[in-house]
Amino acid sequence: MFNKVLIANRGEIAVRILRACRELGIKTVAVYSEADRQAMHVRYATEAYLLGPAPSNESYLKGEKIIEIALKSGAGAIHPGYGFLAERADFAQAVENAGLEFIGPKPFAISSMGDKAIARETMMKAGVPVVPGTEGTDTLSDEKLLELAPGVGFPLLIKATAGGGGKGMREVKNIEEMPTLLQSARRESKAAFGDDNVYLEKLILGARHIEIQVLADKFGNVIHLNERECSLQRRHQKLLEEAPSAFVDEDLRQRMGDVAVKAAEAVDYESAGTIECLVDADKEFYFLEMNTRLQVEHPITELVTGIDIVKEQIRIARGRKLSFSQEDIKINGAAIECRINAEDPHNNFMPSTGHISHVVLPTGPGIRVDTGVYSGTDITPYYDSMISKLIVWGETRAQAILRMRRALEEYKVVGVRSNIPFHQAMMDSHSFMGGQFHTRFVEEEFSMEDIAEGKETFPEVAAIIATLVQHEHTERAAHVVRRNARDTSNWKWLSRWERLSK
Amino acid sequence: MKYITTIDGKEFLVEIIDDRHVSIDGKIVEVDFESVRSQPVFSLIVDGKSYEAYVYEGEEDLEVLVKGRLYHSKVEDERERRLRAASGGDVADTGIFHLKAPMPGLVVSVSVEEGQEVKKGDVLLILESMKMQNELKSPRDGVIGRIQVADGDSVEQRQKILSVE
Repeated sequence: MFNKVLIANRGEIAVRILRACRELGIKTVAVYSEADRQAMHVRYATEAYLLGPAPSNESYLKGEKIIEIALKSGAGAIHPGYGFLAERADFAQAVENAGLEFIGPKPFAISSMGDKAIARETMMKAGVPVVPGTEGTDTLSDEKLLELAPGVGFPLLIKATAGGGGKGMREVKNIEEMPTLLQSARRESKAAFGDDNVYLEKLILGARHIEIQVLADKFGNVIHLNERECSLQRRHQKLLEEAPSAFVDEDLRQRMGDVAVKAAEAVDYESAGTIECLVDADKEFYFLEMNTRLQVEHPITELVTGIDIVKEQIRIARGRKLSFSQEDIKINGAAIECRINAEDPHNNFMPSTGHISHVVLPTGPGIRVDTGVYSGTDITPYYDSMISKLIVWGETRAQAILRMRRALEEYKVVGVRSNIPFHQAMMDSHSFMGGQFHTRFVEEEFSMEDIAEGKETFPEVAAIIATLVQHEHTERAAHVVRRNARDTSNWKWLSRWERLSK
Repeated sequence: MKYITTIDGKEFLVEIIDDRHVSIDGKIVEVDFESVRSQPVFSLIVDGKSYEAYVYEGEEDLEVLVKGRLYHSKVEDERERRLRAASGGDVADTGIFHLKAPMPGLVVSVSVEEGQEVKKGDVLLILESMKMQNELKSPRDGVIGRIQVADGDSVEQRQKILSVE
């Protein structure tokens, strides 16, 4: 059994895992790139080792080097977090071959779920409903895909078989635009995953994106921790998640949970994983993909179930049985997570890089912030734009929304643009409050400007403050100039006087 | 001291009378203004109402965050105002617009050609940064001038990319 864990990640998730280890009394090893020397995860860990230059492929993606560091430092296990090496079966295999424990599923489960075409096939065999689309696991050429497209029906999605996080994904409205979109999907997929294979899936309109968290130990015990509502996305990037979903009733919850457990069992799953589904207006659901890792949004499930998923992952990896059964899992209250990104919501969500000179975190009852960012952090273009995850809990969904509004108002990030105003507008949206939304809601129906209308504003107060700040600024500058002017002129006057008298 | 302060396009005439009094558009109010040391945080109490503000310098103006809302403000004294009026004011919609990289990144594709006519909102270029592909759009109608980058180029922040004339 291991007593030291290497965390092969950075940012908030590295800090999250470090915290779990600390609470369990496990020693930790951080790895970092040159850009992250001052990062929180480096300072927080028991040991820290440099990986290489800032770009991920020279640092956080260097699996061999990471395993080498684990062996050298005496870490018995590697936690990959999410992103980077988390869903790389070859890495999980290499960790295992080195005699270390990979805190996650077995390589076989990662690879069979990692290739989306194989995953669809596996799920269909296990009796799990999948979104209609191209079948089989062959590599399909553009010609073949164009031929199959009308059978799938428009609109449809081109998806990367190696995909995830919306990369290599394109929506196609008709056959005419499909060749160009195939090209760009392949290009993006190649860049992101090193593989340009794609498949087609019917686009289900007005659907929700709902996922089920599962936990499985090494003894074949599989349970689910209910659903997370993740429909609020932009360009297939989740922005806000909540648990439970206002749309899911007890019957649907049970049906989805059963299927999720079945899906996990189909690949002899162990550790934490997530089954992502699309749910249509008739409450019919389809398997989308399984994420064989810890999810970004895992904290909302932790807040409503009271289970520490990361600690549970570590316990499972240490060979313990699950500490609870399905009957023990209850939903208590409601939780919401807002992903706070360095993006300007007023400018087409353009990422914003720069120096964060100042951060004030919201605190008080029911609030949790998972972050790796501190006053003085530089947001670089090398990694993703997430600053933090702001998570709140409330007795009811309505209470959680009110609490989130307060937390967002308290949260201040100075130095880069953040999407806090977007989340504030979302919390004021009637559709959101009523639980009426779907995966295209943010892009097609939501407008920050409409919501801002009719809200109380304080332009006079802002005018007074701006003027006073500017006034003090000018006064101070004038003061300095005046003093300097006198000082210099005194000396100049003296020297001139001396020269004159020579 | 008299100032013309513009908040999100709306002008206010603000006069600082003394340490405790300010007049805004002719209305005199009693103010208590404090700044929190070594932080961009200010506290204003006006007629017993308390406001906390974050004030920081934006690209061209002061940004004031009050009650979760950001206000763009420009503060000018009368002399500055007269100078600007004399020089002919803003030149927003004429002249050449230089598109500069808003962040360091990789040029995925240049969507326009030199001499091409573009409308406001047309995509000029796709820039990959922070693992996302970002569309940079034209802020106004015009004709594409010189393009200084090609597909696959790395660009630094604020590097000139192209111009719209």
